[in-house]
Amino acid sequence: MSDHIVSSFDEELNEITDGLINMGALVLAALRSVEEILKNDDHNLAQKIIDNDLQINDLGQSIEIKAFNTLASRQPMAFDLRLVFSAVKMSLYLERCGDMCKGISKRILKGDLTEADSPNTIESLVTLTNRVYENLSLVLEDYAARTSEKSLEVWSSDNEIDSIYSDILMEILNNIKSKPEAIEALVPLFFIARYLERVGDQATNIAEVTHFIVTGEVLTDEKEIQIENETTF
Amino acid sequence: MVNTIDQIINVFDEQKIRKNEALISCSGVNVFYSDKQALFDVNLDIKEKEVTSLIGPSGCGKSTFLRCINRMNDVIETCSIEGLVKINGQDIYDPKIDVVELRAKIGMVFQKPNPFPKSVYENVAYGPRLHGMFINKSDMDKKVEESLVRAGLWNEVKDRLQEPGTSLSGGQQQRLCIARAIAVDPEIILMDEPCSSLDPIATAKIEELIDELKVNYTITIVTHSMQQAARVSQKTAFFHLGHLIEVGETENIFRNPINKQTEAYVTGRYG
Ligand SMILES: Nc1ncnc2c1ncn2[C@@H]1O[C@H](COP(=O)(O)OP(=O)(O)OP(=O)(O)O)[C@@H](O)[C@H]1O
Ligand SMILES: [Mg+2]
Repeated sequence: MSDHIVSSFDEELNEITDGLINMGALVLAALRSVEEILKNDDHNLAQKIIDNDLQINDLGQSIEIKAFNTLASRQPMAFDLRLVFSAVKMSLYLERCGDMCKGISKRILKGDLTEADSPNTIESLVTLTNRVYENLSLVLEDYAARTSEKSLEVWSSDNEIDSIYSDILMEILNNIKSKPEAIEALVPLFFIARYLERVGDQATNIAEVTHFIVTGEVLTDEKEIQIENETTF
Repeated sequence: MVNTIDQIINVFDEQKIRKNEALISCSGVNVFYSDKQALFDVNLDIKEKEVTSLIGPSGCGKSTFLRCINRMNDVIETCSIEGLVKINGQDIYDPKIDVVELRAKIGMVFQKPNPFPKSVYENVAYGPRLHGMFINKSDMDKKVEESLVRAGLWNEVKDRLQEPGTSLSGGQQQRLCIARAIAVDPEIILMDEPCSSLDPIATAKIEELIDELKVNYTITIVTHSMQQAARVSQKTAFFHLGHLIEVGETENIFRNPINKQTEAYVTGRYG
């Protein structure tokens, strides 16, 4: 798309977009750290995630203020309106992702992962983390490139994450049944899985937002059915 | 019995058809000033009791198009028009049409408020008198009051009816012009940038008025404010270099226009 006649308008929109991309990068970094923590029960790193979350929140707030001011001063239209309006939602979604990573870290700091003695579940949680990471980075790539194909993929593959998640829940449940004495060490794993699944939900939300910015189309369940039909053979 | 039901259904269908039909229908409209073409093959339908905004960069032909609807272009010597403009299914360029009568059905409000150099009262009474609408003074008084009330101006001028129209503020003058336009009970009101010389409060009053008027009138408004188009109109038409580029639901034009040129214009990328 060509530039605005008023170049400072372009600068404002770029600041908002760049801010969100940076915010996304911080969330992705936090997710990478979550993976490390799960593998190594690294409490120092967990503390670092909690500390870094402030940065994500600050960034989110500054994006919201910028979007607010742009709405007031430019009254954007069409693509610009979709971009600025969606920036507010997107910063909220990313902020929640940050909160989830922080929540995971807090759970881990409270106890000792090794006491759960569930290497398989930890491995599944790592898989879930990777899957969520992948989805989030795909939608963020789309957002940065102003494309929407990857977002559509992520949006319609959300149930894969759901199924990994419910498998993990079953696994933990079975563990609790067979080792009731380890329940206190096992319950945090429940929460970690839940947090990760929620990050996955946010990735889906961001996919919707990105799709809306790029195409002006609102994704609905009807659309989902259509996509499913197109991809089933 | 069956017959009656069929008849009822027929009447219902007819009404439905009539409802969907455009009040103003333009097809293949070309306009020339001498040999310079200003509008190219414009096809545009305007629905009854709706507000339609015409937007587009300066010189794209919005005012020219507006003037096709009430044959104001006739007054411009160099101007010629081709194509078909129908109002209520009637070709308005048919030689049998009485232009004075046609213009009585179509009120027009201009960019600069242009009250006549007469009293507030006479400004409003002028049209009805011209068309021989009232003989009786008290009927005329009623008409003047009603028009001023509808234009949202009555309370501000009811004690100044004999003062010159030009003594009012710009925003009041513009509402006086609207009162003057609606005094002849038109079906259609054409507005050419009616708010461009008004402050935000006067603009808001005109916009509020447009909202109220659209219940009874079909309004077509030229505006340079995309936000105003978004606020007041149900349909928006985008013109560029004499061509109608895109027309659609106003919401779609500012949310997600189909045409790249429309998008560039409404987002301020037109250069
Ligand atoms: N009376 C006239 N004689 C000759 N050319 C004219 C006349 N009126 C308009 N034009 C030309 O026709 C074209 C369309 O003009 P028009 O006034 O319809 O544009 P517009 O969209 O209303 O612009 P603006 O937003 O500046 O009012 C322009 O190129 C203009 O120069
Ligand atoms: Mg004009």
